[in-house]
Amino acid sequence: MEVHYRIRRPIALEVRFRIQGFTLLLGESGVGKTTLLKALAGLLPAEGTPYGGLPPEKRPIGYLPQDLALFPHMTAWENVAFPLRGKDAKDKAMALLERVGLWAHAHKRPSALSGGQKQRVALARALARNPELLLLDEPTSALDPLTKDQVVAELIALIRREGLPALAVSHDPALAGMADWLVVLGRKGVLQEGPPERVMAAPGRVEVARLLGYQNLFPVRVGEGGVEVNGVFLRLPLPPWAKPGGSAWLGVRAEEVMVVREDRPPPLENVLEGVLEGLHPQGLAYRGRFLGPIPLVLLLPRHVQERLRLQPGERIRVALKPRYLHLMPGEAEEAREV
Amino acid sequence: MPEPEFFTALRLSLLVASLSAGLLLLLGTPLAWLLAFRDFPGKALLEAVFLLPLVLPPTVLGFYLLLFLGPEGLWTRITGVSWAFRLEGLLFASVLFSLPFALTAYREAFLSLDRNLLEVARTLGVPRAKLYARVVFPLVWPGLLSGTLLAFAHTLGEFGVVLMVGGSIPGKTQMVSIYLYDLVQALRFAEAARASLFLLLLSLLILVFVRLLERRWRAWRSTTG
Repeated sequence: MEVHYRIRRPIALEVRFRIQGFTLLLGESGVGKTTLLKALAGLLPAEGTPYGGLPPEKRPIGYLPQDLALFPHMTAWENVAFPLRGKDAKDKAMALLERVGLWAHAHKRPSALSGGQKQRVALARALARNPELLLLDEPTSALDPLTKDQVVAELIALIRREGLPALAVSHDPALAGMADWLVVLGRKGVLQEGPPERVMAAPGRVEVARLLGYQNLFPVRVGEGGVEVNGVFLRLPLPPWAKPGGSAWLGVRAEEVMVVREDRPPPLENVLEGVLEGLHPQGLAYRGRFLGPIPLVLLLPRHVQERLRLQPGERIRVALKPRYLHLMPGEAEEAREV
Repeated sequence: MPEPEFFTALRLSLLVASLSAGLLLLLGTPLAWLLAFRDFPGKALLEAVFLLPLVLPPTVLGFYLLLFLGPEGLWTRITGVSWAFRLEGLLFASVLFSLPFALTAYREAFLSLDRNLLEVARTLGVPRAKLYARVVFPLVWPGLLSGTLLAFAHTLGEFGVVLMVGGSIPGKTQMVSIYLYDLVQALRFAEAARASLFLLLLSLLILVFVRLLERRWRAWRSTTG
C-alpha cells in the first residue's frame, strides 16, 4: 500500500512511503508521527491517499492510540462489542477476544488488565470493524520496560496472523528489527525506507543513523582508500559515490568499537591509542568513553570485560574494523540543523 | 418537629429548587459543552457574565431582576405579565443565581472526558447517537448529577435574590430561608432552632451524596490510563 499525505496543521508535513506487512515508522519526538497517524485515521484535516477526504467513520482502519483509549466503564468484551451490532454482538466479541488470547479476561475492566492485555483488547476492538489497515501509536509506550520486547513481538505475531497490514509509529529503534518494512521520518519528510536489516546496516543519512542508535558520528574528509577524521586516517572500503576530497559522515556503532587485546597479535589497521574514561554497566554490558585522537563511545559485552578487567583511567588501544565503518553522504553543516 | 408553616415554606423551596435544577440541567448541559469544546469570539466575556452571580451581592442581582420582572420592567412590557412576587420570578432568579455552580460542574465533567475516547469511538464507525449514549453519558453523568445537586442545595439556601424578587408572601413566595428570617425577626427562637437543624441535616445529606458521587466518578476516570 502506497501512502502519500500532505498535512498543514498542527505541523506542516508531506510524506510518501510504502506500507508492507508490519511497517514501522521511526522518528524523533515532534516530527509529526502521531499527527500522521491521526490524519490517516481521518481525525485531522489532511489530503492524500489512501482514504483522503473520508470522515473517520467511513475509513476502514483500526486505530490504537498511545494510551489505547479503552472505555474505562466497560469490560473487555463490552469494549470489543462496542463497534458491533445485532444480537450476536457478544458472541462475536468473545470470539475476537479468543483470537487475541484473552477469552478468560473477557469480564474484566481495563483497569484490571496489564499493559499488554489492554493492547490486545484494543486490537480485538479494532478488528471488530474489519479494518483494512491497523494504525498503532507508540505500541511500546504503555508496556512494562522489562517485558515490552516480548509483548510487542507477540502483538506483531498476532497482527501477522490476522494478515493485516499495519503502520506503527515509534521513536524506539528496538522495534525496527521486528518490522517487515522500516520507514524513517525526519522533519522534512521521509528520510529512508526499506527492509529493516538493510536500513539499519546502511543508513543513508546521518539523521537516520542517529535514530537507529549509531552513537559515534563524525564529519569526515574522503581520501584515497579511506577517510580523515580529526587528522587521523582511517582505512575503509569506499562506496562509489565517495570521491577523494569530498565530505561525508562516518558512523560507528558503540558495540562495534573493538578493544585491542595486548596478548594477541595486534590488528593491522585503524588502531587508536587513548584513555578509557568512565565505564558504567548498561544492562549486561559496559558503556565506556574512549578519549583519544577520535573520541568514541564503546559498549563492551560482559564476557569481554570479564577477560580484560578494564578500569577507568587506563590507557587502552581500540581498533575500528573497516567493515564496521559506515560512510554516509552529507556535509558537516547538515547535521547541525537536525 | 417544626410547625406546618415551616413545611409550607419548605415545600415551596423544594419545588423551586427542583424545578430550577431541572431547568439548569436542560440549559446548562449544552452551554457547558459549548464552553468546554468550542472556541468562538467573545467566549471569555460570555463566561464572565455567566459567572457574575458568583461574586455579585445577591441583593444586587435581586434588585436588577426586580426591575426587569416588575410591573414597569422590560420583561413585563414584552410578555405582558409581571413575574415579580410570583413562582415564575423565583424560578427565573434561582436559575440565574445557581447557573455558575451548575455550569462550572458540568464543564468540569465534560473537560475531564478523555478526548481520545471520543476520537477512537469515531474510528470504530459507530453512529453519533450510540457514542453519546454508550460513552459520553455514562462517563459524565456523575459529574452532571453532582452539579445539579449542588445547584439544588444552593437554591434551597438562597436568600437575598428571592427576597428581592419574591418578597415573603406565606404560601406563595415565602421560601424556607425567608421563613427562618421572619421567625428570628419575631423572636421565635425555639421554632427557628428546629427549622435550622432540619435544614442543616438536609444540606449535609445532599453534600455527602455529592461527595460520594464525586469519589465514584474520580475512581472511574483514573482507570482510563
